[in-house]
Amino acid sequence: MLAVLGVAVAAAMLLDMVMLATGMRESFRELLLSQGFDIRLAPKGTLPFDTDATIPGVSAITSVLRTNPDIREISPVLGGSIHIPVGALDVSAAVLGIDPTVQGDYEFLSGQDVTTPDAIVANDYLLQKLGARFGDTLDVAAGYDPQTRTYSGQRKLVLTGKVRFIYGATEQPSAAVRRETLEAMGGGARRDRASLFMVRVRKGANPDSVRNWIATEIPNVSAISIATAIAQVDQRLSYFRQLAFILGAVSLFVGFLLVTTLVTVSVNERAGEIAVMRAIGVSRAHVVQQIVVEGLATTFIGALLGLGLGLLTARYLNSILSAFPGLPVAIDFFLFQPRAVWSALGLLIVSGIAAGIYPAWRAASLPIAESLRREAIA
Amino acid sequence: MLLPFLAFALILQAPQTSQRTIAIDEGFAAEAHLKVGDRVAISARPDRSAPAESVIVGAIVRRGADPSEVARGDFVVRMHLDQLQGISGYGDRVDRFAIATRPSADIDRTLQRINHVAFGFRAYRSRDIAVETSRTFQVVSRFHRAIGVITIVASSIFLLCIMILKVEERRRDIAVLRLMGISRSSVVRSIIIEAAVVAVLGSMLGVVIGWVVSLFVNWHYQALYRTPLYFSIITPPIVSLAVSLSLVLGVGAGVLASMRLVRTPPLALFGR
Repeated sequence: MLAVLGVAVAAAMLLDMVMLATGMRESFRELLLSQGFDIRLAPKGTLPFDTDATIPGVSAITSVLRTNPDIREISPVLGGSIHIPVGALDVSAAVLGIDPTVQGDYEFLSGQDVTTPDAIVANDYLLQKLGARFGDTLDVAAGYDPQTRTYSGQRKLVLTGKVRFIYGATEQPSAAVRRETLEAMGGGARRDRASLFMVRVRKGANPDSVRNWIATEIPNVSAISIATAIAQVDQRLSYFRQLAFILGAVSLFVGFLLVTTLVTVSVNERAGEIAVMRAIGVSRAHVVQQIVVEGLATTFIGALLGLGLGLLTARYLNSILSAFPGLPVAIDFFLFQPRAVWSALGLLIVSGIAAGIYPAWRAASLPIAESLRREAIA
Repeated sequence: MLLPFLAFALILQAPQTSQRTIAIDEGFAAEAHLKVGDRVAISARPDRSAPAESVIVGAIVRRGADPSEVARGDFVVRMHLDQLQGISGYGDRVDRFAIATRPSADIDRTLQRINHVAFGFRAYRSRDIAVETSRTFQVVSRFHRAIGVITIVASSIFLLCIMILKVEERRRDIAVLRLMGISRSSVVRSIIIEAAVVAVLGSMLGVVIGWVVSLFVNWHYQALYRTPLYFSIITPPIVSLAVSLSLVLGVGAGVLASMRLVRTPPLALFGR
């Protein structure tokens, strides 16, 4: 029982590590693909929203992009922050300036989208902080000088709807307005600028070819495809992947060692019994098969228990890592995928078979007469 | 936020006459093939919409052990404050002031006095800021602790299994000892002593293996992230936890298995 429990814990750890090794990348890929945009354009040398930098000449860039027949849709996004006075308090939030007909940054939940220039939509967290309802008029400012306690770029906006930001962090109050509204609030410095372009390519077109074309035609932007973005995230989070690989390998080895030890002890205890079987004509192959099946059975029962245990611990570990500051809500470090379960089970079965080989070889090569004599004396 | 502007340091070819210097980090120097004395032009924006200033690379510096920079590919350029304010168009502004107090100073009172007269800013203790900005590492720490607990549970079960099996293997020896008239308590004591010795020797070997693995982990990650930070440290409390845990488990397994064996009649231990 203790041995099965040992294998179960090793199997749980192995499953968690397989989920960790592949989960982040898959979860990030799903997040990027969720709205169907294949390419992102960020200011040269940066990642989307990694800095405050913006791309100038939105109209000119859009015109250039439209000349490529493989590009189906272009969504320029301007990011920034806003300040909303609520009584004596100043509530600040992240804001996106978007075109609601092509935006891929939020899911619309209720109310009305930003169909007019004086409309604003907000996420649940900001709505709670403001204590506002649909139809309320808010004094929204694009800037705030704490020294003079004065707002700049102020405008009255009507709260029209509730949205969920796809790339937003868990506790990040956020809002969205039309891009032209945010540009106007930011004054001349933000005119015709965007923080990011999201580009959707035609079905059947190669996103990498389009990305290369953009890099040549618009040299002052970084064109990032899904594959490039995943590679960059992979590089930043390589620590977790390597940790998963090392701990996964250790778990597999511990499970293997445990089963080998158990089956070897079992063979030693049954040396006489095996010698009798061999003496009455049972073939070596049959003895080997029996021992290997014993190891495999222990591994399999432990693995089945471990898979359930692994899913529970994965959920717990994921809840810890989800608290990373600034991490999008939709990102999971431990992502359940049937492929991960099959991989873990496959590795365990191979390890269970391998674990039975040494004791099976010992059992098959027992000297029959000597073993029987030793058993008789004992 | 002055720091993000540094990300847009732009290398141009045009030589100018300015003699001001900047310091760049080793990673940037290697990536951009820069050496001390090279002239570069820096700008706050990548699109050359902001004016560029020609400067000379005066120093190549090794970055400090700052955990917040681990796994980020950012390069760091250090320049004079007025120079950065000039190219970023920030005017006579800074992000923060760092204030060193005398050893005898009452920090709480100093904070109160500053905040009393502050206009548009606020003073904090450095350690409070450190707590607030280290949330990422608190999360990583919690994750490591959780993984550590799972690993300890797995190793404990493994140790228990091995120790019980090891004692079980000795059933015939124990039967012989009992038939020779050796008392139950002597048999139990000898097994416990043996289990304790095995546990201590095993854990000492484990500490040596752990130390070697720790050296490898630090060597690998320090090279990967180009940082002098230590990723794995074996401390006396960790060693004592490992040794004590293995001793407790070893002795516990010895007691369990030996008590069971000495209660079994010696002939039954022989299989008769």
